[in-house]
Amino acid sequence: MFRMQCFHVLARSSTKSHRWFSSRPIDAEALLSKRTWSVRSLLPSTDTTPDSPQVSSEQLHHLLRLSALPPPKDPSEEARMLRTLSSQLHFVREIQAVDTTGVSPLRTLRDETTEGEQRNEIGLAELKDALCGEDAVGKHHKRVRRRRDQDGQKTAAETWHVLGSAEKLIGKYFVVEGGK
Amino acid sequence: MHSSTLRTAPVHLTRALQHPSFTTAHSLRPCVVAKWLQSRRLTTASPRTQEVIPLRKHLKDEAKRKKAEVKRDGDVTSKKQTLDPRLDKWELTVGIEIHAELNTACKLFSSAPAEVSVGDDGGSANSRVADFDAALPGTQPQFQIATLLPALRAAIALECEVQRKSGWDRKHYFHWDQPNGYQITQYYQPFAKDGSLTLGAFDGVPAEDLNGAESITIGIKQIQMEQDTAKTMNVGSSTYHVDLNRAGMPLIEVITLPHIHSPQTAAAVVRKIQAVLKGVDACVTGMELGGLRADVNVSVRQRGTSGIGSSYSGVGGLGQRTEIKNLSSFKAVEDAIVAERDRQITVLEAGGVIEGETRGWTLGATETTRLRGKEGEVDYRYMPDADLPPLVIGSDLVQHLKTTMPMLPDAVERDLEEWHGLSRKDAKTLNEQDNGDRVEFFERTASFLLAEVGTFKSEVATTKERRKTGKLVGNWVLHELGGLLATHQRSWDDVRVTADELKDVLVCLHKNEITARAAKQILAELFQRQPAPDGPYWPSMDTRPSVEQLVDAGNLRLRPLSEDEYEKLAMQIMDANPDMVKAVREKGQKGKVMWFVGQMVRQGEEGTVEPEKAKVVIERLMGG
Repeated sequence: MFRMQCFHVLARSSTKSHRWFSSRPIDAEALLSKRTWSVRSLLPSTDTTPDSPQVSSEQLHHLLRLSALPPPKDPSEEARMLRTLSSQLHFVREIQAVDTTGVSPLRTLRDETTEGEQRNEIGLAELKDALCGEDAVGKHHKRVRRRRDQDGQKTAAETWHVLGSAEKLIGKYFVVEGGK
Repeated sequence: MHSSTLRTAPVHLTRALQHPSFTTAHSLRPCVVAKWLQSRRLTTASPRTQEVIPLRKHLKDEAKRKKAEVKRDGDVTSKKQTLDPRLDKWELTVGIEIHAELNTACKLFSSAPAEVSVGDDGGSANSRVADFDAALPGTQPQFQIATLLPALRAAIALECEVQRKSGWDRKHYFHWDQPNGYQITQYYQPFAKDGSLTLGAFDGVPAEDLNGAESITIGIKQIQMEQDTAKTMNVGSSTYHVDLNRAGMPLIEVITLPHIHSPQTAAAVVRKIQAVLKGVDACVTGMELGGLRADVNVSVRQRGTSGIGSSYSGVGGLGQRTEIKNLSSFKAVEDAIVAERDRQITVLEAGGVIEGETRGWTLGATETTRLRGKEGEVDYRYMPDADLPPLVIGSDLVQHLKTTMPMLPDAVERDLEEWHGLSRKDAKTLNEQDNGDRVEFFERTASFLLAEVGTFKSEVATTKERRKTGKLVGNWVLHELGGLLATHQRSWDDVRVTADELKDVLVCLHKNEITARAAKQILAELFQRQPAPDGPYWPSMDTRPSVEQLVDAGNLRLRPLSEDEYEKLAMQIMDANPDMVKAVREKGQKGKVMWFVGQMVRQGEEGTVEPEKAKVVIERLMGG
């Protein structure tokens, strides 16, 4: 974060003049030798007992079931899981404390400029091929009907061995033992 | 089941026989695992092949059943009283979610083919699976833009506002029919919102719901695109076979607002949506073939109150709702809603409380069964899919599709009714046949016929003539040709009678050159003959005769009888059947006159007796 602020300042001032550069040299070693922040600040301190609501054993089992993870083998493992979960939740609460008013959540790293959106837009030109794959049927009662069996050749999708990595097969089906 | 005589086979049976039975459905045994299966997903196994019940037959059966009930119970009020007071006090509210398979060449996020191609091994299990569909680690979804075409048409047909930007979200749950562990759907931002659907009495909406208006409007909350799951089949006690061919197929989910207040309307809504989607080529596999599935949400409240104050998407004052999943026929929709409504009323009247649970329905059951309670509610942990960019739909595309939309079923039926003079019921039945090909044939024949026999004296006269010829052609295309197709169990592709030929027959009939009976005979003859071979290369051994040739060959041209000849024939029949004469004269059974007319037509020479004139003669002789 500190580094980003540095670059931001540099970028801004470089457009004006090179006055900042010429005044004094940067001592990178000195700047970076002092720690100003650590991720440890986002974790709960080990000595204090957390005052935030605890995760119950029931909730833990529910979460494990949702994620299809195996339940804990013994009470000590469960206690370990609960401790880990608790510190993870502390971390999440610290993150949630950041003010994000007016900021829409990031979904994925992609081009969010208007040009990017324009490039992504699906319009008439992009669907020209699909529209050509339809017939206008009927003279009096006009309808559209998609033409079937257009592409006879097998696409790449069809040429791999679908059942190749299955442990158990019956005929052409994957097999699942559903008993509880 | 197959009748080799010319006796007309029952229409519904032959229609059912015409539908090819699809991949064999293994029925789920009602065991705990099966119920759990049902609770997890919409449908996994394909439904049992069901009998197709067309709307006309459904309406007729309902009318017959009501009549039989009245007759049997004698006192109509006794049966209604058990229901009426409760329904006077309690009001039903229903919301429907429909999942329909889109008509596309590829799946939604992979280029695997969506349909079986001819002469290929695509019909076998696990043969149309891309690596993303099988959830191989590291595979990515790729949105197939061609799937937008039917989806947009569906949205426009249901009068929705297409959103320029919409997103893809993951709905997480574990099941063996969901290889990825999540389904890609549009939870937060669907691609179409705020539509509507209009229904009238002819769609099957009961009078109580219409409240004197001509039609009701059901709001559509949204339409979203999502993936279908794989197919699983139960073989043996706890073994399941998984077929990934269906995994990743594109579906649209149409969610209606809770504006529906009766089971009949709910079934009518599902029917109407299926018809609309079929009419714009968006979803062409119907409910009976498993291409369309419905989930319904049912709640009741006391009339005049606001239930428990629960609301859904702006509609407030509702009772606690329960969801019934996996309804796979129109009748099931209606029956399940009736059963659930009655159950809820019983519980509430006894002082109990309805729980918000998920319930199931099996054909032939009397009550819905509980699949999943509130504690078993699944936490789907919806989150935006990071692998897919947002869906951005251009307005030029939407505009183009709006202007080139095919006519919706409502407009087609209204046109047939007002322009061509058909009854609304006939128009509806005609439009349901053969994907609109029957309507095309009808309009062709009607226009040919009008061109030949119309006098076009004035605009008013032309309208009258057009409606008269329209009605005539309608009867012949719907009932006569329909009857022949059913009797000989052929599909419309093999009708062999051309519009020109039918026009020729009807011209002869219109000019009174032949009787109706003779015309039917000619039609049957044309129907049976081999179609004329295409091209001039083959010297036709068995050429298709023209209608004129058939009339001459069968000596069918009408040779009208004189009044005396009619009387002589009538007296002959009356003398042979004194009991029938007594029935008409003394007991006043006027209906039996038609029996005499029939006898005259049959006993007279072919192409001589006209039924209308015969009736007049017989009535005159009977009257004395």
